Amino acid sequence: MAVSAESFAFVADLVRRRSAIQLAPGKEYLVESRLLSLAREDGAADVDAFVRTVRSSAKESDFARIVEALTTNETSWFRDSAPFAALQSYVVPELIAARGTSARLKVWSAACSTGQEPYSIAMTLADCLPASASADILATDLSEQVLAKAREGRYSQLEVNRGLPATMLVRHLSRVGAEWQISQALRNLVTFRQHNLLDLPPIGGPFDVVYLRNVLIYFDIATKRAILERLRRVMKPDGILMLGAAETTIGVDDAWIRVPVGTGSVYRPNRPLAASVPISTVPQPRTAPYSSVLTRGAHS
Amino acid sequence: MSPIVEHAQIFMIAQEVFAAMVDGDAGLLQPWDGDLPALDQAVSSWVDIHGDWLGRAVLTTEKSTADDLARALLDMGADEEVTEPDLVDAFGEIANVIGGNVKSLLPTQGSLGLPTVASVAPLLGGAVVIQELRLAWRGRPLLVAVWEIENTVQEGNHS
Amino acid sequence: MRALVIDDSRTMRRIVAGTLQDLGFETEQAEHGRAALDLLESGVDVQLCCIDWNMPVMDGLTFVSEVRANPAWRHITLMMVTTESEQGQIVRALAAGAHEYLIKPFTPDAIRGKLDLLGLVPVEEMA
Repeated sequence: MAVSAESFAFVADLVRRRSAIQLAPGKEYLVESRLLSLAREDGAADVDAFVRTVRSSAKESDFARIVEALTTNETSWFRDSAPFAALQSYVVPELIAARGTSARLKVWSAACSTGQEPYSIAMTLADCLPASASADILATDLSEQVLAKAREGRYSQLEVNRGLPATMLVRHLSRVGAEWQISQALRNLVTFRQHNLLDLPPIGGPFDVVYLRNVLIYFDIATKRAILERLRRVMKPDGILMLGAAETTIGVDDAWIRVPVGTGSVYRPNRPLAASVPISTVPQPRTAPYSSVLTRGAHS
Repeated sequence: MSPIVEHAQIFMIAQEVFAAMVDGDAGLLQPWDGDLPALDQAVSSWVDIHGDWLGRAVLTTEKSTADDLARALLDMGADEEVTEPDLVDAFGEIANVIGGNVKSLLPTQGSLGLPTVASVAPLLGGAVVIQELRLAWRGRPLLVAVWEIENTVQEGNHS
Repeated sequence: MRALVIDDSRTMRRIVAGTLQDLGFETEQAEHGRAALDLLESGVDVQLCCIDWNMPVMDGLTFVSEVRANPAWRHITLMMVTTESEQGQIVRALAAGAHEYLIKPFTPDAIRGKLDLLGLVPVEEMA
């Protein structure tokens, strides 16, 4: 009942290109079991028939469904650790230099799913923010169901195994029966709220840092551009955007500058925003022009 | 009084062990619906838990199912013969992982024995089955039980 | 890169070694801590050890302490891979010198995630 080699090769290539996740040979059963329900939804006879239809119609929404079906369990903590290493080595030092050591940073984790990303941000900030500084983390997702789990902060053994350093596990989580739960202190740092990225941006900005990872891949280029434009309006002029490892603003919205940091990249708005954009707090003048940031890379 | 380890906790552990180690995907270990049939050539694997609380985690299924579990874990073909050492190692390891996770539910730190496999887990004086889960792995019967063992033997040893 | 997988279960050694091989590692195996020390002492050089806790002859925690006591093996990354999952046990292993801790059961991508944290995943070509 396994999928054909041809279907598998197509799906594996699609998933690798869009999520940077590798489906090694031997994962045919995974493709079969994950795509079976999609095939049934579409009335296809089996997974091979479903894949054939998807290939011939080449619809963006089908590609996104396949990638989602094969990556849903990949929600992990510091997986693709670059965006968290960058927070520590580059983002926080830059922002503290610009705003002072008693800054209150506003962070938005968009499409936060079951909460691993905002809690990983909170754990990283607990390590690297000066004691006099503080942070508010807003975490949003389309689904109330995943938000309920995220608020509770309870994770199974398999979930805490995925990309969470053991030192962080014993420091920030404790066992509750067969599961683990995020400490109350960490949960207090994160506010969870339902939000659709295609709607108006959520209240709580303007944001110093936005994590929008592995979300743009699901949209066509016009929608990607619209999301990035709206995002710029709720970010501080010197704010920092984190995208997924396989995503970029380049060729989508040219109003961003890519800054290489460590093994990955972060993005900053590259031009002053229109006067109509409401900015509630005026940032202190930056000490260095962006152009010098471009060549500087990681600070650590 | 609620038991020291809850039914739902053991079920969650068993499901995770099968999803991660055996099947590569969730949902293939489910509660058994209705009465369990008599097992054909039953085989059991178990580990003992020592400490303030004494107990045993026991996995029981039919020989043919245990063979298929060993094939899955050892990456063997459907027709390949499962030897006695294969069965003892693979089926024993499932009991070991389930037992280790059951141990972590206990209020005080215990230690785990090494896994054993036989046609039936030997009855121990003072052992009580405190949880028994009737499960279906890919539709085939499988039992996960937790025994509590009265501390009488150990107390006798102290004198 | 070369890794040493230490577990008394041949099943578990196969699962861990198989995942490591998929990630580009060459693997050695040992069925308990003493056999693993013998391999290291015989000159087998590894960058990573994946170590079970409960084993006959020499358990994993003792093995970690032995490796950490020898400066010649300072470059070896030590990861526990065990069903011991109490918070206190994890703290004990880290204190003894383990760098990471993976709880059984685990999925292959969990091993990959831990190696990513440890900087041991070979860099992939970008799409």
